[in-house]
Amino acid sequence: MSSRRLNLGGQYQLPSKNTYRGFPLMRTTQAPTSAAAESSTWRALSRVEIDLFVRSMMTAYEVVGVQKKHGRMTMDKVEDPSELLLEFPPQVHSPKKFLFPNWQKLFRFSLGGKVHLEADKAAVPRVIFGMHPCDLHAVQVLDDCLFEGEADSVYRSKREATLLIGVDCLPDEHCFCSSVGTDRTDSGFDLFFHRADEGYLVQSGSERGEALLRRHAPQVAKRDEEAPLPLQVKPCEHQLDFAVDALAPLLGDVYDHHLWKEIGERCLGCGACTLLCPTCYCFNVEDRMDDDLAGGERVRTWDSCQFDHFTRVAGGRDFRSDQADRQRHRFFRKYKYLWEKHERTACVGCGRCSRECLANIAPVNVLNRLFVEEASPELKALPANEYQPDMVEIIAVEDLTNQDKLFRLRLNTPIHFTPGMFVAISIFGLGEAPFTIASSSDDDMHVEIVVRAKGALTRALHRLQSGDSVGLRGPFGHGFQVEGFAGRDLLLVAGGLGLVTLRSLLLSLLANRQSFGTIQLLYGVRNMDHMLFQKELLEWHGSNQLDCRFAIKEPGNSWGVPTGDITHLFRNLDLQPQRTSVAVSGPAGMYRFINPLLLRMGVDEEALFLNLERHMKCGLGKCGKCRINDVCVCETGPIFPYSKVKHLKEAIER
Amino acid sequence: MKVQVPYLSRIEGHAHLVVDTKAGEVVECQLEVVETPRFFEKLLVGRHYSEVAGLASRICGVCSHSHTLVSLMATERAFGMEVSEQVTSLRRLLMYGEILQSHLLHLYFMAVPDYLGVNSLLAMAQSRRDLVARALRLKKLGSDICEVIGGRPVHPVTTCVGGFHRFPEASELQRLRRCLSKALPDLEQTVELVAGLDWPDFSHQAECLALHDSDGYPQFGETLISSAGLQVPNSCYREMIREYVVPHSTAKHARINDETYMVGPLARLRQGFHHLSPLAREVADLQGLSPSTNNPYLSQGARLVEVLHCVEQSMHLIDHLLLEGLKYEEPVVTCKAREGVATLEAPRGVLLHAYSYDKEGFLTSADCVIPTAQNLANLEMNLRARVPQIIDEEPDTFQSELEKLVRAYDPCLSCSTHLLTIDRL
Amino acid sequence: MKPRVGFFDFTGCEGCQLTILNLAEKLLDVLDLVEVVEFREVQGHCNEDLDIAFVEGSICRLDEEKRLRMIRTRSKKLITLGACADLAGINIAHEEAGGAELAMAVYGSDSKHLQGGQARPVSVIVPIDGRIPGCPVDGQEFLSILHALLLDRPTNLPAFSLCVECKLAELPCTFEQGIVCLGPVVRAGCNALCIEGGDRCRGCRGLVDNPRESSYHRVLETFNRSVDDILEEYRTYNLRIDEE
Repeated sequence: MSSRRLNLGGQYQLPSKNTYRGFPLMRTTQAPTSAAAESSTWRALSRVEIDLFVRSMMTAYEVVGVQKKHGRMTMDKVEDPSELLLEFPPQVHSPKKFLFPNWQKLFRFSLGGKVHLEADKAAVPRVIFGMHPCDLHAVQVLDDCLFEGEADSVYRSKREATLLIGVDCLPDEHCFCSSVGTDRTDSGFDLFFHRADEGYLVQSGSERGEALLRRHAPQVAKRDEEAPLPLQVKPCEHQLDFAVDALAPLLGDVYDHHLWKEIGERCLGCGACTLLCPTCYCFNVEDRMDDDLAGGERVRTWDSCQFDHFTRVAGGRDFRSDQADRQRHRFFRKYKYLWEKHERTACVGCGRCSRECLANIAPVNVLNRLFVEEASPELKALPANEYQPDMVEIIAVEDLTNQDKLFRLRLNTPIHFTPGMFVAISIFGLGEAPFTIASSSDDDMHVEIVVRAKGALTRALHRLQSGDSVGLRGPFGHGFQVEGFAGRDLLLVAGGLGLVTLRSLLLSLLANRQSFGTIQLLYGVRNMDHMLFQKELLEWHGSNQLDCRFAIKEPGNSWGVPTGDITHLFRNLDLQPQRTSVAVSGPAGMYRFINPLLLRMGVDEEALFLNLERHMKCGLGKCGKCRINDVCVCETGPIFPYSKVKHLKEAIER
Repeated sequence: MKVQVPYLSRIEGHAHLVVDTKAGEVVECQLEVVETPRFFEKLLVGRHYSEVAGLASRICGVCSHSHTLVSLMATERAFGMEVSEQVTSLRRLLMYGEILQSHLLHLYFMAVPDYLGVNSLLAMAQSRRDLVARALRLKKLGSDICEVIGGRPVHPVTTCVGGFHRFPEASELQRLRRCLSKALPDLEQTVELVAGLDWPDFSHQAECLALHDSDGYPQFGETLISSAGLQVPNSCYREMIREYVVPHSTAKHARINDETYMVGPLARLRQGFHHLSPLAREVADLQGLSPSTNNPYLSQGARLVEVLHCVEQSMHLIDHLLLEGLKYEEPVVTCKAREGVATLEAPRGVLLHAYSYDKEGFLTSADCVIPTAQNLANLEMNLRARVPQIIDEEPDTFQSELEKLVRAYDPCLSCSTHLLTIDRL
Repeated sequence: MKPRVGFFDFTGCEGCQLTILNLAEKLLDVLDLVEVVEFREVQGHCNEDLDIAFVEGSICRLDEEKRLRMIRTRSKKLITLGACADLAGINIAHEEAGGAELAMAVYGSDSKHLQGGQARPVSVIVPIDGRIPGCPVDGQEFLSILHALLLDRPTNLPAFSLCVECKLAELPCTFEQGIVCLGPVVRAGCNALCIEGGDRCRGCRGLVDNPRESSYHRVLETFNRSVDDILEEYRTYNLRIDEE
């Protein structure tokens, strides 16, 4: 970024934007590789050697680290290295206080006569020994904000004079660093001390860190290098329910959400959240006088967007007087405004704000609620989320034929579909395949599918029983518009497995039987062994709800139906073409005979619907496998009116 | 001749001095205490034991630590609690801090101006900057001790029933130790200044009352000892001390066996003379103080002796505490429905609080006996005796001599007016 | 000529005047900046006009009220010093028992001269130009208010709650120990001294300008404390608040 005017004299380089922009996002499990990681060295040392190292550093630097004082842990100047803690819980306050202190002199002035400006003396050379990974990330957020444009030289002088030494952390119930990708880092530090089986491993992160080791722990620096430890994923139970990059768009939709008011009413306005935040840096500037009033200092003190007066202007008007607006501002700044500017959330998931909020305002809970209540449409845009199946339970399995089984699945959330649409069923390790829904669209909590054991996936499905779970995505596709058939006669023509689609249609029609005219079902199969839903077919045949006719290609069937293909059934067909809609579903070849027959009988091209199933792998119109010429079946089909597909060479003609 | 000094300044609290003489005879001699009564004993009633000491502290800003500690000790007595040796040592150190703070404030800002012939030490900020700076520095020595141990120079916050919420760090005690040794040159100059003052020659035999402290010089103790040889455990204080109301004062007066008596530095010095620290003893000898001194003006000299004593004892106590090492103790409190009486030597003398509690730990009655109230009757006796000796002086000198006598008692009327014992007719 | 300053005390413990004397070397700087013409505790009195009057203590009796009005008349600016002057604080507590009756109970029949009178804050009697809260006041805050007066700057107090200073001092929250603390609604400025000392906040600095009462009550509920419990806490320093 060219606006980042940071000249550290070549002595110390901040990690480049490219290097640290790649820190792992949520659900990235592999270790990020970067220049820093590749060039860093790892050496073993003992706690005693660390004490000696610290003692030696104390001659050249002010070393600060976490120690126990008055029964609590605080980060402060180290007087006795043996009291320095390297393993400490995340509730220790942020090291921000050393890089961007609450009380920072900007310059001195004198009163009476000439105004005399005196620059602050050089920043104290300091080593912060005890930066958790989230805090190292937080420093990078501060860098983003304070080096942008006209760099803040007071911060810069402290930043340049400070070496950062990282140590690892065990998250508590407030931490959510793993959700924002700050639970580990391979850059942004000079040295990093990792706990190893016996003692520690020190990882170098910069040339300055190497030099520090050479000068203050020469024995360790000369030691042979050890193999690097893999980056450890932190076990945070407190998590965002969605990926971090969805935050900015999510917030874009919830500016007026009622949740802000609810939080505003709970908030005490104490500002603890911002004061404890390792990346909050809003400040106030004021003059503090010397006791003799001869001069004074202009000082910078922390301020908070949660305070009364923060946005008050001369004349008393307050531009953000409502606590709800103040809380929203805080969230927007952390997760949207700065994200959009720097491609990094300004929250590092350290949990300090929620840990000490008396009103229990926890960002993770707030964001998850916003997500559930407001932003589920965004779900489909999230990486991998649309490919991720929902686990559903098999509640019944029925043998239809020797090779076909009917599975009844119970859904976790209701779905809306029309007959002809399909779902994608997964068995992990074997993959995923599309199955047409065989059940009625009236029941939105269950779906039935017919599975013919042909491949590995379907054979595995056949081994499953009631109570087992399978993955389900969908529904996908575009089915029959049942409402459009109201008042019309229906002719359903099924061949082989094509009956599955038409069973769904037929059940949906029967659920609302009085809305339609006559219904006829023509069903052709190769032999009885391939005949699906035999029990239901007999029931329908025996009922007066519809007219069922069957054709079996191979001779000698036990039902005594005519031998021959389905075209035979058209001979005595009593059809009023103008008021009949026709649904045809069967193998590709079947259409080449049936379509001309129907059109010759006077069926309207718009009233003739074809089921043109292809290999609908993704269901999302992306994978390209189901395209018929330029038409994507899973988006606009598989149910098409003849008029829409007759010109497609690949549809029927082949 | 009638001399009236309305709003007597350079004392703690509000009082008028009225002296009326006719033909060399004293017709009227009264210290009219006009401080508004605040009924502290009443407002303590109904409060939870954890609140009581904090409220009792507000009786007086100058001796807030004395009131706090005696209040805590009265509660502990009521609950039958013993505190550790460490807690007692820290409390003793806190008392040394308060006595230093109070005595040095008094000597420099209230007493010395009378003898230097100025209205106020503050007026000398330019002409005698060294003196004013030294006074403020020394006063800070005492308030620093209070701050480290009690958390604040006025109205402590670390103290609690059973001990302390917070114990000082070793480094804080080390710093105090350094401040104390660094103060020795300032103290030397103070001795030079105060011991060189010309105390009026006046003696007035009076009974003196102080605590018997088994550890030495009177500070903490549970037995009241009078110079006339009376010995009474503090729980039986009502048998010894009789308090009564006088029309011209909002502070009660007190007597032992119908006689007025004195408490405070001179009373302590007379009883604890042989327990003085070496430097303190030296300063006592330098001023000619002894167990039989009975010039009330020399209370100022006794104050100086106690300053040295407290500084030396504080250094020993800090060394002892550092040697033992400070350990955090969690106070454990079990409420009991009982009465408890506690006494300690506040800067101005014996201070007593007597409490009763119910079994939930809420205070049901309180009685506070305050040093200045015990001294008031004796002070009036002194004034009556002093007037005939100086009746022929110029009015200004006459008034000034009487004011010196009042100030020798360092009356602290902001506390004395909060006396709220039930009248026992 | 240096601005002329006076210190006055009414009903109270005089701990605030003492705190100012505890400023030690810094008091010398003050003495260079202003002329202290009255300071009853350590100095005689006069009746001259003043630029700034600092008033400690509550106003309880008619004679006190008269004296206060006199001080107001001859002072350009009048600033209250400490909780008694600011809130009537601890002194108000005895009102509940009824002053005269109380005196009777305590001092007996000869108690006509012992009327306590109703303790009132200074601002109820005369207009004030600023206030320094606390029991006792904070010496450093006294200095910065004095500086503001001398430089003719506004004498603003922190508008945020004590929680802020508690966090800055990295102190553990008192509520964590199950102890109710007034910190969330009380004005900051004391550097959380009582919390640092292991105690809780009892509210001596008064409420913030805009206390979030309903939020605070909600917090109390989560700690199983009732609004009555907290009103008892408010009583110590006479923190008046809508009792809704």
